[in-house]
Amino acid sequence: MIHFVLLISRQGKVRLTKWYSPYSQKERTKVIRELSGMILTRAPKLCNFVEWRGYKVVYKRYASLYFCMCIDQDDNELEVLEIIHHFVEILDRYFGSVCELDLIFNFHKLPRAQAYYILDEILIAGELQESSKKTVARLIATQDSLVEAAKEQASSISNMIAQATK
Amino acid sequence: MGSQGGFGQSKEFLDLIKSIGESRSKAEEDRIVLREVETLKVRLNDPNTPKYKLKEYIIRLLYVEMLGHDASFGYIHAVKMTHDENLLLKRTGYLAVTLFLNEDHDLIILIVNTIQKDLKSDNFLVVCAALNAVCRLINEETIPAVLPQVVDLLGHQKEAVRKKAVMALHRFSQKAPGSVSHLVSNFRKKLCDNDPGVMGAALCPLFDLINADVDKYKDLAVSFVNILKQVAERRLPKSYDYHQMPAPFIQIKLLKILSLLGTGDKKASEQMYTIVGDIMRKCDSTSNIGNAILYESICCVSSLHPNPKLLEAAADAIAKFLKSDSHNLKYLGIDALTRLIKINPEIAEQHQLAVIDCLEDPDDTLKRKTFDLLYKMTSSSNVEVIVDRMIEYMISINDSHYKTEIASRCVELAEQFAPNNQWFIQTMNKVFEHAADLVNAKVAHNLMKLIAEGFGEDDDTADSQLRSSAGFVAIRVESYLRIMGEPKLPSAFLQVICWVLGEYGIADGKYSASYIIGKLCDVAEAHPDDDTVKVVTGIMKIYSFEIASGNPVDLLPECQSLIEEMLASHSTDLQQRAYELQSIFTLDARAVKKIMPMDSTCDDIEIDKNLSFLDGYVQQAIENGAQPYIPESERLGISSISDFRSHDVHEPSTHALRFEAYELPKPSLPHNIPPVLASSTELVPVEPSYVIDIPHPTSAPSASDTGSSELKLRLDGVQKKWGRPTYSSPAPSSSSTDLVKVQNEAPRPDSASSSKPKTRDSSYDSRKQQTEIPPEKQRLAASLFGGSSKSEGRQPPSQKNSKTQNHTSDKSRSSKASAPDTAVKPSQPPPDLLDLGEPSIASSVPSVDPFKQFEGLFDFTQETTPASTGGVDGASKDSDFTSLFADMSLSAQSNIDPNPESNGLGGSKVEPTSPQLNKGPNLKEALEKDALVRQVGVTPSGQNPNLFKDLLG
Repeated sequence: MIHFVLLISRQGKVRLTKWYSPYSQKERTKVIRELSGMILTRAPKLCNFVEWRGYKVVYKRYASLYFCMCIDQDDNELEVLEIIHHFVEILDRYFGSVCELDLIFNFHKLPRAQAYYILDEILIAGELQESSKKTVARLIATQDSLVEAAKEQASSISNMIAQATK
Repeated sequence: MGSQGGFGQSKEFLDLIKSIGESRSKAEEDRIVLREVETLKVRLNDPNTPKYKLKEYIIRLLYVEMLGHDASFGYIHAVKMTHDENLLLKRTGYLAVTLFLNEDHDLIILIVNTIQKDLKSDNFLVVCAALNAVCRLINEETIPAVLPQVVDLLGHQKEAVRKKAVMALHRFSQKAPGSVSHLVSNFRKKLCDNDPGVMGAALCPLFDLINADVDKYKDLAVSFVNILKQVAERRLPKSYDYHQMPAPFIQIKLLKILSLLGTGDKKASEQMYTIVGDIMRKCDSTSNIGNAILYESICCVSSLHPNPKLLEAAADAIAKFLKSDSHNLKYLGIDALTRLIKINPEIAEQHQLAVIDCLEDPDDTLKRKTFDLLYKMTSSSNVEVIVDRMIEYMISINDSHYKTEIASRCVELAEQFAPNNQWFIQTMNKVFEHAADLVNAKVAHNLMKLIAEGFGEDDDTADSQLRSSAGFVAIRVESYLRIMGEPKLPSAFLQVICWVLGEYGIADGKYSASYIIGKLCDVAEAHPDDDTVKVVTGIMKIYSFEIASGNPVDLLPECQSLIEEMLASHSTDLQQRAYELQSIFTLDARAVKKIMPMDSTCDDIEIDKNLSFLDGYVQQAIENGAQPYIPESERLGISSISDFRSHDVHEPSTHALRFEAYELPKPSLPHNIPPVLASSTELVPVEPSYVIDIPHPTSAPSASDTGSSELKLRLDGVQKKWGRPTYSSPAPSSSSTDLVKVQNEAPRPDSASSSKPKTRDSSYDSRKQQTEIPPEKQRLAASLFGGSSKSEGRQPPSQKNSKTQNHTSDKSRSSKASAPDTAVKPSQPPPDLLDLGEPSIASSVPSVDPFKQFEGLFDFTQETTPASTGGVDGASKDSDFTSLFADMSLSAQSNIDPNPESNGLGGSKVEPTSPQLNKGPNLKEALEKDALVRQVGVTPSGQNPNLFKDLLG
């Protein structure tokens, strides 16, 4: 099972975290520090796996962003590597272009924490729940439309004005 | 699309994100975030904040927490937001709580109600959001609250909901396996769900359930095979394709399940062979995902009942992985190899060079994986190389987690396969020096025992192998004296050092007692109290040996001060030892000899649990009017108490305070069931320790002295303290026999290794072609794999040849191969003959530099070359070979110095030919390429002379 998902930039800044196993805030900080120290320093051609505290961490770099997933000793590393890629492809499809990934995760593009919702459709309880890109995209689109509807219904007048003037 | 930033978000938020994004240092980022935290605290607590603003604040809070700051002040607002009617806010609330809270958080209780309500919502998005939260937040106690609703949702019309419901139940079964045990049939049903996503999700819980209890699900094997077949035949919707592979993630999950079901089950395995074979064939090995499936198939094959065809396919796939440039694939190749060698140990040989490349790769991950492989293939013949490598690596890293693991592996391998005691002790020494705090305390005991046994046997039997051990102990004493200079020693290692110095420090008379005692005193000063105990025992031993041998003893001033310090110590243990040490000085040589017999570590000590030697004393006391002893249980006479005592043997006395709660009253036992008897027998092992603790009456000094000293040793079993640990715990005794066994078997690896050079020689021609491979690597390969092949129960080369000739099927081929072998062997160029001449060092090839001895042996080779070639010349096509080799040896002779590189290669090349020999017809194909390439030099053809000239001339 996947214990956590971690997105860190090349400078070691955290862009997204999702914990499927219980870690206290202190542990989380420690984990991030340890792993970014390990992963960011690895040379480009080495394997995408690192052994860490009896677990394995699979990571992949897209532009200046590292996607990391921590898995059990007996999980299939290459599969997890592809799960990462699967996630990225879906993000790519949703947000437009992968090369803007860093921007996306800078929250510039997702003040609504959209990436979290997408991740929630791909992984649940540390397992891959949906391997069809289409299904995920459809679900997210439905959510978006419903959310838009709900928003319009609830939005204040000032918000409406803000939208209109945009 | 929702990609337009700033939609409904304040400029403030965007500014915050930008400033954090642009911050140059962690400190600057922290400052910004802390300021943000303050703002949020105020805003969130302001009752007038509008709801849509609140949502933004919660997301800002997420951001703050993600950056590692405490956001707990806002958790309650996130929880409140889940209660909101508005979907947008509700979803944000759920997202926030799943990110903020762990399942054991106090606020969960406030969410459970909302979740219950939302699970019943008409809007499936609300249900989905609630199910996401269920997966993350519901703990063992709250499962019952939501379980019925989640089960209902299995029949929801939306597949997204069904899928999440399945995953939620999976989560429940992980948390509390009992809670969903009655729902197993639901998972089975979900396998037939119309939606492949739901089916895929159902595989997760089923995998876990099958993993827990295979037998219950054997009937599903056929279904899984069918599903896998359909998936592989692309029957699933196109949208599940990933990089042109049909639903690869589902395939992988299914393969995992199949390997569980097929493990050790021939019948089930047979159902799977076809489909697994198909999948392996269909895998697209150019894409990552194809390789992921391939790797999973290999794992599956390795756990199914062995099938030669599949194994061959798996071996091919592994070869492809290992030859790949990608580190990922190499890593998987090594891992797959580790799995496959359990079934077919020979596979490793084909890949030895690849394995060694991985071992020396700068990539740590790959290196560790390779160590895993080596660990699995260790045998008595390659243990030295492997453990040396491991220790080398262990020293170089400082990741304590892995260090512990590799240290314990070193110890395990050394205990299991050690070729001789000397090596074992040296190895342990190294492990202790670098990782003593990380290894089991027992290891230290085993080590000391081994030293003692080695030493003891040396006296009695003068066994040739052990003869060196006395000298060896002396060497150790020396090396330990050196090590002791270091400022801080790990406790376990210090124990070994003190023990050895105490027992053997003055044994060979090289060092004076006062010198060693002085050293020990220094150590005692440098280390904390706990360790002083060990030191003092060492000092005590040396003094008593001195006294016993009648030498004049004078108490060193530093020792005197040490004793005084100890007498004032808070530790009663230290005090007692100090008194003991003091009293030893007052005794005469005879008494001391009794207490501390010289080199008696290995003597069996009989323990008289009944203390019969005190019978006379007791008798006398009774005659003088003392009360006879009544066993405690009888004395108390109350069955209920003795009853409970029998449950708690370690309790010293019924009158003492009890700190644990009393057990529940038992259904009263009939009195005639003898609780008394039971308790008394159970008490026996503990009793001696009581006796010891009581100071002995001095009336019968000699008897009680021996008694007490013996019994005191026994005490160690209880206390695990310093002393003569050999006898302290019963457990080590079994391992001691193991070690003795290893020792007895020691000659075997020797004989095996003596035949090794021959194998090595046989392949020397092929090595000529590969001069580009560094010699150390090849030597390493030889020591790793050449050895392993032998240890795996294969015959030494001479038998190998005869066997291959007996082999019928491809006789021509094998005899062709073996004939040159025999010819080549004797007509080796000098460097290899050297190896032949020194079989004894063969087992430690890598550590010994073969070139050093090379020159001296040169004449010898000249003499033997013609003779031996003549002898073996029987094989038909050899004649030109021998002449060729004669030439070569001459040419090699003329320029020894430029040549050492190629000499070194000698060690390495066993494998390329030897696998081919022992493989027989079975794996012929797989090896053919390899063997052919390497054999060009050996195959009798016209090109050979040129080849050799190129290489040697």
